[in-house]
Amino acid sequence: MSGQHGQDAKFFQRGKIEEFRTELQAAEAKDKKFLKRKIVLKKIVANITMGNDMSPLFTDVVQCLGTPLLEIKKMVYLFLVSYGRSKPDQIHLVIPSFLQDCNDRNPLIRALAIRTMSYIPIPVVTESLSDQLRHCLKDRDPYVRKTAAICVVKVYTAEPRRAEKNGFVELLRDLMLDPNATVVSNAVAALSEIGDRHDGVIFKLNLTIANKLLTALGESSEWGQIYILDCLLRYVPEQHEDAEQMAERVIIQLQHANSAVVLTAIKVLLYLMNYMGDRQTIDYICKKMGPPSVTLLSSGPEVQYVALRNILLIIQRRPAVLKNDVKVFFCKYNDPIYVKLAKLEIMYRLAREENAKEVLAELYEYATEVDIDFVRKAVRSIGRLAIKVEPAADSCIKTLLGLIETKVSYVVPEAIIVIKDIFRRYPGKYEGIIPTLCEHLDALEEPEAKAAMIWIVGQFADKIDNADELLDDLLYTFKEDPVEVQLALLTAAVKLFVYKSQSDATKELVHKVLKWATEEVDNPDLRDRGFMYWRLLAINPAIAGEIVLAEKPAITTDSDRMDRGALDQLLLHTGTLGSIYHKNPETFIRNAAGKALIDSPALNAHSRAVRIPLSRNVTEPTTVTVAGPGPPETHTQKPSPPPIPVDIDTSKPPPPIPTESSPSSESKDLLEMDETTSPDIDDDDAVPSMANDPYSNIDGAFGNYMADEPQPMAAGKGSRRDLDDLLF
Amino acid sequence: MAIDGIIILDNSGRPIIQSGFRSCSPAYPLLHIDALNNALAKSTRVGDVDPIIYVPTYDGRDALLPSACCHILCGDIRIVCPVSGEVDPLFAFAFLQGFVEILQEYFGTVSAATLKDNFDVVYQLLEETLDSGGHPLTTSTNALRDIVLPPSLISKLLANLSTPGAGGMSPATGAGAFASPIPWRKAGLRYNNNDIYFDVVEELRAVVNKNGTPLSSNVWGKIETNAKLSGTPDLLLTFTNPQVLTDCAFHPCVRLQRWTRDKSLSFVPPDGHFILLDYRYVPSGPASAVTGSGTPGVRGELVHVPIVLKSLIEVNEFGGTLDLTLTSRLASRAMENLSAELYLGEEATGASCMTSGGQWGGGGAKSLPGDVSWRFDSKKKVLRWEIQNMPSSSTFHLRGSFTSGAKNPRPARALRIRFEIHQHSFSALKVDQLRLTGEGYKPYKGVRGRCVGDVEWRW
Repeated sequence: MSGQHGQDAKFFQRGKIEEFRTELQAAEAKDKKFLKRKIVLKKIVANITMGNDMSPLFTDVVQCLGTPLLEIKKMVYLFLVSYGRSKPDQIHLVIPSFLQDCNDRNPLIRALAIRTMSYIPIPVVTESLSDQLRHCLKDRDPYVRKTAAICVVKVYTAEPRRAEKNGFVELLRDLMLDPNATVVSNAVAALSEIGDRHDGVIFKLNLTIANKLLTALGESSEWGQIYILDCLLRYVPEQHEDAEQMAERVIIQLQHANSAVVLTAIKVLLYLMNYMGDRQTIDYICKKMGPPSVTLLSSGPEVQYVALRNILLIIQRRPAVLKNDVKVFFCKYNDPIYVKLAKLEIMYRLAREENAKEVLAELYEYATEVDIDFVRKAVRSIGRLAIKVEPAADSCIKTLLGLIETKVSYVVPEAIIVIKDIFRRYPGKYEGIIPTLCEHLDALEEPEAKAAMIWIVGQFADKIDNADELLDDLLYTFKEDPVEVQLALLTAAVKLFVYKSQSDATKELVHKVLKWATEEVDNPDLRDRGFMYWRLLAINPAIAGEIVLAEKPAITTDSDRMDRGALDQLLLHTGTLGSIYHKNPETFIRNAAGKALIDSPALNAHSRAVRIPLSRNVTEPTTVTVAGPGPPETHTQKPSPPPIPVDIDTSKPPPPIPTESSPSSESKDLLEMDETTSPDIDDDDAVPSMANDPYSNIDGAFGNYMADEPQPMAAGKGSRRDLDDLLF
Repeated sequence: MAIDGIIILDNSGRPIIQSGFRSCSPAYPLLHIDALNNALAKSTRVGDVDPIIYVPTYDGRDALLPSACCHILCGDIRIVCPVSGEVDPLFAFAFLQGFVEILQEYFGTVSAATLKDNFDVVYQLLEETLDSGGHPLTTSTNALRDIVLPPSLISKLLANLSTPGAGGMSPATGAGAFASPIPWRKAGLRYNNNDIYFDVVEELRAVVNKNGTPLSSNVWGKIETNAKLSGTPDLLLTFTNPQVLTDCAFHPCVRLQRWTRDKSLSFVPPDGHFILLDYRYVPSGPASAVTGSGTPGVRGELVHVPIVLKSLIEVNEFGGTLDLTLTSRLASRAMENLSAELYLGEEATGASCMTSGGQWGGGGAKSLPGDVSWRFDSKKKVLRWEIQNMPSSSTFHLRGSFTSGAKNPRPARALRIRFEIHQHSFSALKVDQLRLTGEGYKPYKGVRGRCVGDVEWRW
């Protein structure tokens, strides 16, 4: 017997149904210690594992159920779980055995029996289970009670009305007051699952029960603690004090070894803070949440990744949480790429004047690393840092120029792209570096970088002596260029002409481009724009100049933060898939019950003001192809990358031209038409936001670097700075 | 809040064992396995696959049913945990971590071979740890041992029994299971020698810039405990300097209120191995007393890095030269199993180095030849320099060159230095006393300290 052990691998060979049947029948006689039966059953189970259909053996295997050996019983039950569903006509053979086992004196067997029955959603089985379950929910053994609690969910899933008729929900509610903590937590888990169903009963907690559950917290297993903590979100505090007292008891759980417990506790605290009035308490809790979040980062890369994505959300809502801990997020060169990118994003969010120097030095270090993808994002982050933290802009520019000097093929384009935005952010401050940039024209292969450089040449054509030569060179490949480069070239040529209309070379150049754009190109955007410029220049070059080179709105990075109400709602999903993808689960998970902050007298005014109430109507899921890492949202929006080419034309003035300045109605019409097609999205990220959908800008607010491009100040909500406290 | 199930894959991506997946279509686990294998095939570096892969699946009626595939690597197997619905991926990872610990406890090493050999035990474990709805059931090994017999025990018991248990189904199960009022501890334990060991293991993780200034350095510590105590002992562990413990995370057995009140650990331990507590050590004063010599420029919050690297690395066309010098800053202790690794870039073809050194200031044993070695791992493109034993204040050198197929080789910008120090702790955490109540015996107790370092040194 003991020799058998450890060589079970040999059971992993394809067996024939007939062979097993014969062996089982042979085993009925002279089977000392049921040894033979055990071996055959093991072989059968191994075959189930390999995905071979063993269901024809149903009647033979079921015969073994009477064998008084737990090991055999378990294997037969395993078989039943696998094939019971597919044998509705034969399942009645097993029911007597089930019923007998439900009343066995061994609690393990009682539990095993109801558990197995609950896995077989056939009406006959569910019916006999219902009777047994009522007893088992009141069984004297806690193991049976806790198993029964979970079985209720199965019955509810199979036949909700039967479960309700049998009063199972009430019995579960009673189990929440059970003396055994594991039973309590399983009852909570069951009720939560039922409550999350759309056809389920509504599961809410009152203060007494919530406090009772908190008491059970200390004795529960880690999983039980997660269930209990999670269901505290179903409690709506009526008074500030209630929320504060509860938070005090939850804070202790932040010291748990299980990372999921910690994150769930953080979620509850973030929720409760919405119902608190005392500023000091909130500050205190924020301070308490920092260290445990950092501790999560000492775990494996998978846990780190989840933690980082959540921290990114939390620090946007509660910037106080990790204000001084930017160093914790410095990347190590052997971090997996997904961890590095998540850290980079957080470093950028945490950057402010006091730590800008450290962050910049660190970003520079990353820009010389091996991994190309990471290097690019590091370079972009330097540019974003320059735009976000004004006092650091000088050193950022210096760093970027240093990087351009390295001439590394993938660093230069990224640097040029961000420098273009820096020019927009600080007009008139850094134009001195343009000649340096122009030296690297040849290195630009990628459309985005090329377009950025062309924009710079056009915009500052008056400061670049040989702008016409440069542009002429760039125009060499005009007809083969991608459309975003073509659009940039067209606009740059017009700007050049406006600046240097005396020069014959310029005249010739602009004429050439306009002719190409209007006659030899198929793209309607390009052609339309070509015609528009042409007429504009033909009618009144002076006004054309005013329009094309009008002052541009300054840009800021403020608007890449999420809408407060949406953030509040998303934080209710802290730790879940929604917080990884930064999308609200109900938009991509079918049947997910939405969550919303529930109004109560204790809800603080600011949270109430931005509150997004829950809409109960669930959109039918439509099949959407996925772009990017996240799942699709059912109400689709355009995925942000790649940028839509129209937005390259930065020359158009966002404010509408006063009518009197337009000499002819014809050109006015054109302008207006243009306003509606490609206006002032030039720095926006080309995602048209949907009026009724607070999440329409979520992609813009997060993650994708494309989407994180600076946006016009007007789009942001006033001049919120990152250090602004969002508490009230 | 429930996961969908567990799939264990071998290193070629084929499933060995999986849990039931009773509430989903049979194709569901297969879709996840495919999604993972595809992602693995596409990635250039194995470690860079997103730990959570989005998997669009379809139910019978062709409606989109989004789900995510969480996975971890463990030895030569990969454990996959599909989740759908509004589930915390951390929940999945925490469960996977716990499940791996259970497997380790049961089988010693976790590998495709051991799992295949013991598939019936693994099956039982799956059944007991996870119900079909994906709710974790029993994950404490103490309780599990009562319901699922570890392989060695089964064979022992079966060999000794002459007749099958007539009354109780199986001798070891039944009455004992879940009889314990404490979920993490078995009832009725008996030992001849009652002893408990605490291993204080601290890991220094630091990033040092090219000037030798630490940018970040943290010490993460844990107290690994092995308890072999009879009955239900109630322990009270106190430290002489509990203030060095910050950001603690405790095993569920620790009474948190008590810790909050007076910084002592009161607990009834589980049986066998467990981690009592994880913590972070943050030095309080500006001069961290690890080596005694506080360098200016090291701020109070940083833990001192007990080693100095001076590096001169030049990258030329198709190769480069290295000149590394490592000096120990420890005054009295030796470092062991020290290794320094440098990734030489994708195109690296080889390296050739000379090691020398072992000149130390103070006394101590002369390092034996063979202590110091280097090699180039042509698969990982990593140059690895190993020093078995580095006496206190000693200095070691490595000089050499490497070749590369790329015109402009791009080696990593940092070296990774790892080392161990025995009988030492960065935090100097000291156990004051261990008091036992609830039982009559006096346990034997042992405390050990050990440090490991993992330093990223940029050049």
